[in-house]
Amino acid sequence: MAGTCRLLIVDDNEDILSTFYEFFNSMNYEVKTAIDGFVALKVLRDKSNSFDCLITDLVMPNISGVGLISIVKKEYPHLKIIAMTGYGDQPGALASEAEADVVLFKPIDLFKIENTVSELMNLKTDKQK
Amino acid sequence: MTTPLIGVSNSILKIKELISHVANTCLNVLITGETGVGKEVIAQSLYSESIRSSENFVKINCAALPETLLESELYGFEKGAFTGAHKKRPGKFQTADKGVLFLDEIGDMPLSLQSKMLHVLQSGEFSPLGSDQDFKTDVWVIAATNHNLEKSIAQKMFREDLFYRLNIIKIHIPPLRERKEDISPLIEYYHRLYQSEYPNSNGSKPDSDTLAKLCQYEWPGNVRQLQNCIKKQMVLDSWAKIFDELPKEQESIPQLPEGDQQNNVPLSATNEFATNEFATNQTTIISEFVDLSTSSEKLFEDISLKKIKKLASDRVEKEVITFVLEKVGWNRSRAAKILKISYKTLLYKMNEFKVHPPVK
Ligand SMILES: Nc1ncnc2c1ncn2[C@@H]1O[C@H](COP(=O)(O)OP(=O)(O)O)[C@@H](O)[C@H]1O
Repeated sequence: MAGTCRLLIVDDNEDILSTFYEFFNSMNYEVKTAIDGFVALKVLRDKSNSFDCLITDLVMPNISGVGLISIVKKEYPHLKIIAMTGYGDQPGALASEAEADVVLFKPIDLFKIENTVSELMNLKTDKQK
Repeated sequence: MTTPLIGVSNSILKIKELISHVANTCLNVLITGETGVGKEVIAQSLYSESIRSSENFVKINCAALPETLLESELYGFEKGAFTGAHKKRPGKFQTADKGVLFLDEIGDMPLSLQSKMLHVLQSGEFSPLGSDQDFKTDVWVIAATNHNLEKSIAQKMFREDLFYRLNIIKIHIPPLRERKEDISPLIEYYHRLYQSEYPNSNGSKPDSDTLAKLCQYEWPGNVRQLQNCIKKQMVLDSWAKIFDELPKEQESIPQLPEGDQQNNVPLSATNEFATNEFATNQTTIISEFVDLSTSSEKLFEDISLKKIKKLASDRVEKEVITFVLEKVGWNRSRAAKILKISYKTLLYKMNEFKVHPPVK
């Protein structure tokens, strides 16, 4: 089931990014990554890409995760959004305000994120029925 | 007329690209960078590329006004809200409605006003001083600061929640010394601009040696300082004089980060230009007016800016008066006209400075 799910993962920490990439890849997700919100936005706007779910860090240079979420909500409303944060409550609260579907606080267990993703995807397919 | 964003460095190119991607999102923007790097130029570019460009761009400098005045400027007031409020007045939030509100020097905003600002940004509503009515506001907030706000937050000078609310899009402009390849296009642009504004000015553009020196300089005042130099050059037409008048750094120039070095700094310029030569230059000038050889205690007693200003201006005045008198063959009324002072003042000054015609 997970095999068809296309993920965009955004984090300005390269180690986290590659760990996430390896993990979701091995779980049969189709994964693309971006090192900050601006790169992510360019990936999204590239017509040859399309995604089902966005997993994004919040505190990043140029376009923050909160900014990215707001833009995605407006321009790609079908995308499910998971926000991750390691910086106290503020960014998380702003992410909820920007209508992220789920906000998780770091450190986050990879299996837990995977669970969240597949739950969100099920919700989506349920709705489509 | 808005200033175009001039620059060919990677940082400026990246900022231009970012602007084109976010100008229509109307998400809060925080622009950081030293004074004079072009924060307002960036704010203007965001505005003019956005769908709000036909509405107002309203600027307020949060550092320039005392707290109460800043508050009434931002939110406006009702008639009788405080002593002196004879007439109701709209605030910047109102004039900027549907357009852009540029909060310059946000890092200097007093804490008490920061809470109110946070509330307005959260709720999208504000009420003028002395009013119990709430007004809806639809402004695109672009804020700028030369402070390191993370540091200010640690020092409890800036609210963390306000920081995160503003920092949705973050644009950092590096100082000019870290993007030297922008110096040449900036000179090109401003030289042409001033030439067209003052067609009679004849300042030449820098030759390659001068350009190399200009690239070697630290530019503590960034683009604004460079701009002022070009303006001066249009009048003086002497890059040598311009260099003489540049504030000198006493410390040596920090090495550039690796990647930055290849494509910009011309090799012919040497570091000496910015260090030793300048330091001695500085003390030479000062020693002309105060005795630097005394103990620092005595020295600090001697240094009075007022006194030095008088001494320095007297010296220049004496030189100029003598120069003009010589040119006009000691015709004092002609000299007074040229110097744009009265005949009486000239005589007084000649006496004071002991300027006498040569004895034949
Ligand atoms: N990239 C640029 N291109 C053209 N002019 C610039 C640029 N950067 C700065 N300037 C000019 O330099 C001066 C200082 O810029 P400003 O935006 O006021 O700086 P800041 O707001 O960072 O103090 C202004 O006159 C501005 O027009």
